[in-house]
Amino acid sequence: MKPKTPLTARKATRNASTTAKLGSTLKSRKAVAEKIDLSGQFKAEYVAPRKPVLLVTLPARYLVVDGEGEPGGPVFEARIGALYGIAYTVKMTRKFSGQQDYVVGKLEARYLNLAEDPMPPKSAWRWQLMIRTPDFVADAELSNAVAVLRKRGKEGDAALVRLETVEEGRCIQMLHVGSYERECETIALMAAFAKANGVGLAGPHHEIYISDPRRVAPEKLKTILRLPVAAAL
Amino acid sequence: MITGPHQPSTLRFYKERMLVVLGFIQQNLDAPLELEELARVGGFAPYHFHRVFRGMTGEPLMAHIRRMRLERAANELRRGTTPVIQIALDAGYDSHEAFTRAFKQAFAVAPSEYRRNSHASRAAAKSGVHFADGHLPQNFRTSNHRTMKPSFETVAPLRVAYVRHVGPYSECGKAWDKLCSWMGKEGYLGAGCKFVGISYDDPEGTPAEQLRYDACVTVDADFKPVGEIGVQIIEGGEYARVTHAGPYEQLSRTYAQLMGQWLPRSGRQLRNLPCFELYLNDPSSTAPADLLTDIYVPLQPLARS
Repeated sequence: MKPKTPLTARKATRNASTTAKLGSTLKSRKAVAEKIDLSGQFKAEYVAPRKPVLLVTLPARYLVVDGEGEPGGPVFEARIGALYGIAYTVKMTRKFSGQQDYVVGKLEARYLNLAEDPMPPKSAWRWQLMIRTPDFVADAELSNAVAVLRKRGKEGDAALVRLETVEEGRCIQMLHVGSYERECETIALMAAFAKANGVGLAGPHHEIYISDPRRVAPEKLKTILRLPVAAAL
Repeated sequence: MITGPHQPSTLRFYKERMLVVLGFIQQNLDAPLELEELARVGGFAPYHFHRVFRGMTGEPLMAHIRRMRLERAANELRRGTTPVIQIALDAGYDSHEAFTRAFKQAFAVAPSEYRRNSHASRAAAKSGVHFADGHLPQNFRTSNHRTMKPSFETVAPLRVAYVRHVGPYSECGKAWDKLCSWMGKEGYLGAGCKFVGISYDDPEGTPAEQLRYDACVTVDADFKPVGEIGVQIIEGGEYARVTHAGPYEQLSRTYAQLMGQWLPRSGRQLRNLPCFELYLNDPSSTAPADLLTDIYVPLQPLARS
């Protein structure tokens, strides 16, 4: 028998009920049961083992914002702020009016030009920051969010945020534990795995940030790395 | 000026004041022994006294008072012929059953059995402080977590919009929902917003339905109170900051270590202002073990009066 609510949502309910202060920053116990959590619904895409695996991902809807520059630099940080500002404004507007509630997902990013030869310097990296968002969130909600943020003088780069469907299909995925600088070691393992399985890398490298780099020590940072693949020619 | 982190003299100063409180408790077991009064007796800031007490003695304040009353009752059972029900009433229990239950928990035997046979006169206590008729405690054990390394920070005043929650801390999510859904749809949750929590009361000594907690979001000067959403300024100045990693239900343990073990060695003392918490991630998308919370504790120079 299949459980009615995603596993992670049920777990969250249990935690919330035993928790002192966990009414939490942004949820109520009551809402948890009804709330959509995409990372629970598409669990295989958000729980990766520490060795490479092949999986097929479904087309997925994201709030995205593009940019260029060093990850962690001022442009990158400003765009993260814009993306989260939109994500929470859209979500809370729905919540306030009693529409379907959902969990704002983890930050993800795709790095668009790292496969170029030679690899560009960090300051020239092009990236797309992403937050997974339910399909029912409409463009009108996005433009409304930009307008209310503008009204409060909090627009920043919010107007650059778009809704986009990303199709990656077959991917190799693996959990990287350690600093962002050492991701190349994990990527090398994934590339070897791809070769052994007769597939080639076929799209920009995708990262899902599990840890918060503001406070977590670099050697303990958890990041899911995803590489889209295709049958080798 | 910020003085060095480990000063034995500061610790002695804190211990001396805590011994005054411990002695006062033993001499006034028949009085109500309110937290405010006990804090004043020792010259501690009432806002934080429950945490300082628990951190220094390893025992919540109310649990300590309960234990002292039970140890006095055990004394009475051993020595005298006072009826058990009278001893129960003197210990603050309104029924024989409630007293027996509490007594068994502390001494592992029922009061009547305890009277018949000789048993340990003391209940277990980390601090080593026990009821001793006519003798006041001269010292107590306090553990020392040197692993904790808070940083000293000068914080600018924070202007916040907030919703007050009164009730069990486990239900403060309702206040967050109210605050964030309104602030969000109005466009106040843009980049740079900080999510702050203030808990005012000791869950050990305050009935759950009276616990006060403010769910707060930082706002600019132009934000005006609206409906249930109020505005307050969190006072700036010197604070100690420590990051708590893990579930929110373990925050109280970090508070107790910070205030009972680190603070007495810090060369500083608390200001009579609430602490506040800065939530660094969204608990609906973060595993409880990965949650990060910055705890800010208001400090001032140690004045020896």
